[in-house]
Amino acid sequence: MGAIEGILTGFEVAFSWEGILFVLLGVFVGTFIGMLPGLGPISAIAIMIPITYGMDPTLALVMMAGVYYGAVFGGSTSSILLNAPGISGTVASSFDGYPMAQQGKAGKALAIAAISSFAGGTISVVLLMIFAPMLASVAISFGPPAYFALMLLGLTAIASLSEGSTIKALISAVVGFMVATIGIDPQTGTGRFTFGSMNLLDGIDFLVIALGLFAIAEVCYLVMNRHKSSAGSGKEIGSLKLSKEDAKEMSGPVGRQSLLGFILGILPGAGATIASFISYIAEKRIAKKPEEFGKGSVKGLAAPEASNNAATSGAFVPLLSLGIPGSGTTAVMLGAFLVLGLQPGPMLMGDHPEVFWGIIASMYIGNIFLLVLNLPLIPYIARILTIPRPLLISLVLMFSLIGVYAISFSVFDLYLLLAFGVIGFLMRMFAFPAPPFILAFILGGMMEQSLRQSMTISNGSISIMFENNISLVLIILSVLSFAFPIAKSIWSKKKAS
Amino acid sequence: MVQRVNRKIGLILTLLSIGYLYMSYQLPTYLYIPLDADAVPKTLGWVLLVLSIALIFSKDSDSEEQKAKRQIPKTDVKALLGVGALLLIYIILFETLGFIIMTVLFVYFCSWFLGYKNHSVNAFVSIVFPVALYSIFVFMLQIKLPQGILPF
Repeated sequence: MGAIEGILTGFEVAFSWEGILFVLLGVFVGTFIGMLPGLGPISAIAIMIPITYGMDPTLALVMMAGVYYGAVFGGSTSSILLNAPGISGTVASSFDGYPMAQQGKAGKALAIAAISSFAGGTISVVLLMIFAPMLASVAISFGPPAYFALMLLGLTAIASLSEGSTIKALISAVVGFMVATIGIDPQTGTGRFTFGSMNLLDGIDFLVIALGLFAIAEVCYLVMNRHKSSAGSGKEIGSLKLSKEDAKEMSGPVGRQSLLGFILGILPGAGATIASFISYIAEKRIAKKPEEFGKGSVKGLAAPEASNNAATSGAFVPLLSLGIPGSGTTAVMLGAFLVLGLQPGPMLMGDHPEVFWGIIASMYIGNIFLLVLNLPLIPYIARILTIPRPLLISLVLMFSLIGVYAISFSVFDLYLLLAFGVIGFLMRMFAFPAPPFILAFILGGMMEQSLRQSMTISNGSISIMFENNISLVLIILSVLSFAFPIAKSIWSKKKAS
Repeated sequence: MVQRVNRKIGLILTLLSIGYLYMSYQLPTYLYIPLDADAVPKTLGWVLLVLSIALIFSKDSDSEEQKAKRQIPKTDVKALLGVGALLLIYIILFETLGFIIMTVLFVYFCSWFLGYKNHSVNAFVSIVFPVALYSIFVFMLQIKLPQGILPF
């Protein structure tokens, strides 16, 4: 099937009544969950996975993609209204969005965020449509060594770009990989680290880890902040109308930062958070009046909003074309693919064009829905923020428990969920980032398989990793991404002393 | 303070890596397999050991926000332990009493325990959400959830 037929198939899926319904459902649920402080796209996708059991995989994934970019979109509302970002990717939006809301221009801030997100999302979907098939056609020639090197780069990049200590991020990734080794080794049939338990022979399900490390751990923080009121969310948000000057002012940042956000979204380890911060800083540097940033600047809000939504689509490029996630959220998306019996990667475009193109085409509709739904409904949707925390905590716990049970029908997995919840809470408490853990857990099995295939081809010689130009370049990049933060910290210490 | 915390965590992780390495070296190996089932675990064990030792001696400091996360007031510790206990009771009795009974009780008592005093709304939410979810999973998605002592 050619690209044109593929695109047409995708639009056929996206414009079917089921396609429209599930995109609408996905973006609405995503906006809803993303808006709640603490619960980001990872929790949103993980909570929604059980709902997709038994569904048509294409429609299920169209919905999950909608949940993802809907959550990024929704996160900005709590950033602007409460200065409590729903997700880390919208922290930069609060820098100018919240001051605007304090000046009584919350409606204007929400409108800027919605329009910038729509523009960023739409521009990046066009780019996704161009670049994903191109990369997939290149990746089809990748052998096991190149795949191993690519996954290694993904892991080292996310560890080195994580907030805080690089050592802690690397430990998080290594422990995630270790957890992935639990269960029967598929090549030799050896049981590894099962402690004689039948329940561990199949390994640990990724949903247990995703919900434990993210949803349950976040619930612990919600428990600690259960008395915090959401005052302010119910106040008048003012007019949503934008003046011509506002539109003119935001057009430049939106165009520039959509491109930058898309590129940063493709890169392994970057994602919406880093994209939004870099875009904010970039716009501030080139602004004629940088002193206005942080005080309710239109540019300061438009730039990160366009960028974080563009990065969301950008993150789909390596996921769909290489089958390799570059962030924690896309790692959970990969998990959703696997649960539905699909393997994303270069073969997806040929084997399941309806899925590949259906997801991309649905993003156009999803972005329109987000704009149409959110602009007039924002004042009502924002009332979600007033849900009493105790009720919210109980319901998130209920969704997490049912989600895990429905995938394994095992009470043992519920205990594991609880255990990973405690681990996730402790990781946050002691500043160990969780995304490298989940990424390493998902990539671990695939990495080991690629490494073993490479070793079988080369009869046990590690030199195969350096014989191919692609794998050599990727390994060099992995080493650089690992060494860069260490060198940077040594250099900054020397400079300080 | 930060260094002491890092030192303690580093020591725990060092012990974990030693335990993991010990188990990795117990894994059986086979002839004619270029990369056996023990190769990756052994590598991971050694890498974790090196990183754990590096953490013990690392001087990096966490941000004030991260440090603040470690200070948990006693009332919050009690709340966390209480929710943990409710979850344990839920899991233990889940298959015996069934999804609906346990989930209704869990949602109601967990919300009440955390300070939600509007009993009528609490009761409404506690009944409607579990029953709706049970119906979706069992009747629409054909996914069987434990019915326990209830006849449906």
